[in-house]
Amino acid sequence: MKSLLSKIFYQLSNITVITGQLVSWLTVAMVVLLTLNILASWLFKSSSILVSESITWMHSANFLLAAAYTLNRNEHVRVDIFYAKMSVRAKALVDLLGTLLLLLPVSLFIIWASWSYVSLSWRIGEVSAEAGGMPATYILKGFLIVMPLLLVLEGISQLYRNFCLFTGENNIQDKTGVQ
Amino acid sequence: MEWLALLMFICVCLVLLAGYPVAFSLAGTALIFAAIGVATGDLHPALLKSAFSRLFGIMQNPTLIAVPLFVFMGVMLEKAKIAEKLLTGMAGLFAGTPGGLAISVVLVGALLAASTGIVGATVVTMGLLSLPVMLKSNYSTPLSTGVICASGTLGQIIPPSIVLVLLGDVIASANRDAGIGGDPVSVGDLFAGAMLPGILLVVLYIIYIAIYARVKPDDAPAVAKGIKQLSELQENTSQSETMESSSAPASTNGFELSSLLLPLILILLVLGSILAGIATPSEAAALGAIGATLLAIYYREFSLERLKQVVRSTTKTSSMVFMILIGASIFSLVFRAFEGDDAIREILSGLPGGVFGAMVVVMLSMFLLGFILDFIEIVFVVVPLTAPALLAMGVDPIWLGIMIAVNLQTSFLTPPFGFALFYLRGVTPPDIATAEIYRGVLPFIFIQMAVLIIMAVWPEIVTWLPSIIYK
Amino acid sequence: GQKQECGDSAGASAQQETIKWNMVTTWPPGFQGLGTGAEHLASLIGELSNGRLKVKVFGAGELVPALQVFDEVSSGSVQMGHGAAYYWKGKLPAASFFSSVPFGLNAQEMNGWLLKGGGLELWQELYAPFNLVPMPAGNTDVQMAGWFNKEINSIDDLKGLKMRIPGLGGEVLKRAGGNPELIAGGEIFSALELGRIDAAEFVGPYNDLAFGFYKAAKYYYYPGWQEPGTTLEAIVNKQALESLPQDLQEIVKTACLIANLDMLAEYTEKNNQALNILVEKHGVQVKRLPQEVLDHLESISEKLVEEQGQANELSKRIYASYKDFKQKANAWKVVSQSL
Ligand code: NA
Ligand code: NA
Repeated sequence: MKSLLSKIFYQLSNITVITGQLVSWLTVAMVVLLTLNILASWLFKSSSILVSESITWMHSANFLLAAAYTLNRNEHVRVDIFYAKMSVRAKALVDLLGTLLLLLPVSLFIIWASWSYVSLSWRIGEVSAEAGGMPATYILKGFLIVMPLLLVLEGISQLYRNFCLFTGENNIQDKTGVQ
Repeated sequence: MEWLALLMFICVCLVLLAGYPVAFSLAGTALIFAAIGVATGDLHPALLKSAFSRLFGIMQNPTLIAVPLFVFMGVMLEKAKIAEKLLTGMAGLFAGTPGGLAISVVLVGALLAASTGIVGATVVTMGLLSLPVMLKSNYSTPLSTGVICASGTLGQIIPPSIVLVLLGDVIASANRDAGIGGDPVSVGDLFAGAMLPGILLVVLYIIYIAIYARVKPDDAPAVAKGIKQLSELQENTSQSETMESSSAPASTNGFELSSLLLPLILILLVLGSILAGIATPSEAAALGAIGATLLAIYYREFSLERLKQVVRSTTKTSSMVFMILIGASIFSLVFRAFEGDDAIREILSGLPGGVFGAMVVVMLSMFLLGFILDFIEIVFVVVPLTAPALLAMGVDPIWLGIMIAVNLQTSFLTPPFGFALFYLRGVTPPDIATAEIYRGVLPFIFIQMAVLIIMAVWPEIVTWLPSIIYK
Repeated sequence: GQKQECGDSAGASAQQETIKWNMVTTWPPGFQGLGTGAEHLASLIGELSNGRLKVKVFGAGELVPALQVFDEVSSGSVQMGHGAAYYWKGKLPAASFFSSVPFGLNAQEMNGWLLKGGGLELWQELYAPFNLVPMPAGNTDVQMAGWFNKEINSIDDLKGLKMRIPGLGGEVLKRAGGNPELIAGGEIFSALELGRIDAAEFVGPYNDLAFGFYKAAKYYYYPGWQEPGTTLEAIVNKQALESLPQDLQEIVKTACLIANLDMLAEYTEKNNQALNILVEKHGVQVKRLPQEVLDHLESISEKLVEEQGQANELSKRIYASYKDFKQKANAWKVVSQSL
């Protein structure tokens, strides 16, 4: 039973980690495309609005869809003057309460706040206001729903992990989860 | 209900101290208060929906795209050990000078600052670049982290700076708003006005380091010998990783000059392309990232595995910075929904004490707000509320803008809530105590305060350059 | 939020409720003419309603970014917005007609078309699916062609011209061989000064003087072919408007009409003062675009504007109504402006 739960929560984290690692390659695409855009503007005196808007898309997808991965890797910054000195159990308690009272409400709030805007954009087939810009603005806006969904997945997985740590289960040692 | 807004400030400080990630603490605490407000009927839930528009604005902000690109450049320079070569090469110039490595960090920091202008990116880049080198060279942890934080925040004040661009926009409209018929203010004026105070800060940092190194030579040793040790250390690690690296051009002889020159040329190209108007900060950052990659290839430090490390590290750092921005944005929305902005306006308009009193109170409150709010929030929330009143009292708009910029820079350095400290903490090894980081920045906070006082006593240090440039 | 409190005991309507609205705008806080126009509209509503309807104004970025105003009022999270219709062209290609299109109607003609020529009804029809009621709420009058560091003597000078010029004007420049650049208002100055762009259009003398562009560019060209008389809009959430008592609904509409007139009057008065200061005090060279260039741009514009009115049946009706009014107005312009 325990190991089945562990496996399920491990797979939840796996989704966020794989997503984060995939979108991390967008940084390379951003660097290359932006450089090509500059070269084009220097050499041919023309730059593409489509390319510069697509870079905005990649940038947004990168930092939003990797937010849960960053959480999984424990790289969201903390004010750790006290936290750093806490016992494993106390840290687990902080993370347990933080996930329940802060992370999950914030994620659900962002989904609630975004829903009507994303669906409006979808309904009217919104495109960029700039001539020759990106189509399908609702996908870009939709990242603001996917980001908190991934955070919820990671949050549930962290709830389980921190609960085990807090109650003293030994089978979860690695706070950073999936490697 | 205005008091709820003020209570929220106090509570978020307490929540942050518990140690849960800053981004979710800011937003989560605000939402708990919002829920209270909805329950008591003080707050209409529909207004909270505009959080979407604020977050979408962060995604689309073209200036902020420079953040991941500069981080990419920094991580690549770090992982390919080029930063280490640059810093040791730079320190080679100060060979035999106690504190030379710290001084070169300030200079490299000022160069990066001039090229990025984004606090998060500069602090993170500097942290990745220089902290390992300084620690290996037996520098004390507080001095190292203090120097890095302080030089990292120089990006706010040394042009081109995003803070100054946004501030210039708001100050210019406050100036028009005040209706005193003075000369219009532009972002260019603020750039020119920030030049001398920025240089003054760099000079004072260096003087402090020189004195410190004289008093405590063990904490800031001269690195004439250290360079060799470092380069040897580097040889060893790279040999253990890849066999080919023994034949890399960066072998021991002739290594000092090229290791200093190539990265320096890269940074100067990045900075130069911005100042010469050829590239925006984002474009320059992309060129810098490509340049860093080419350098890594040149030094035979490049591999697909390393690129994978770089993109993952870049992504996590960028996500961390932007999630803080998102958290601060939700916090500030709830603050407004409670009409906290009105509360601030009322408090300030009822102040006694003339220009001096008003100026002191405004500076102090921005300093405190800098703990909680990002500079964008302060520039958009506090400056429009306070600046018109000050300008109408006869305060010079350029001087006011630079005072605000240096003040915010100081705020971001100040423990326990300074943003620069969060960002640095995010990239330091866990065995470094946060208290050491806090101890290290204190002297630099005093230097910042000294510069604020100098600018208050001699406003010409700000206003002189703009006055001659546009005549 | 739409909060209801006991009103002050001032005035006859002692026990009447006070309704609070929020208004988001596309203008930086305190922006002369446009931003102050929105603030004027809010205070008019307060005064005309004897304090029963209080509207709090938020500048761009204060509550939401400028380009989210439409979505924000549509969703009902705020009750009112102030901006310009061409910002919503990505959602509604025909929206541009209700602010300004290149070589389109001038300020006076816009008011004629919207208020008496059937334009407002079409505008309301266009925004109705979004729960929005639009009203004209200001006009900048004809704008300037912009600030140039490069002289424009022929059509060839447009080729490769790097210019900050948003929207349809930018598309026209692109088709004429130029490079329109996306640059926010606050960054125009440094882009001009650093030479990243050769030229930039903003508004007219009143706003341009305050932004100090004369320090960064040599020539100030006219006429503002890209915006011959830009109408600003007030948008109100439909449910919020209908939840008001009938008299307050009328007050909101009347206040918009007053603000519409008042802003045009302000621009008319301030533009000539500012142009005088630019020329006399700052020695700006004011130049007219060569007729050859204007003719070329106009022929491109006509085709582009027609494309904006093809998206669907409603767009076609809007374009037909606009075009019809413009043809009649042109005939009258020849007669009326012959004095
Ligand atoms: Na800078
Ligand atoms: Na314009």
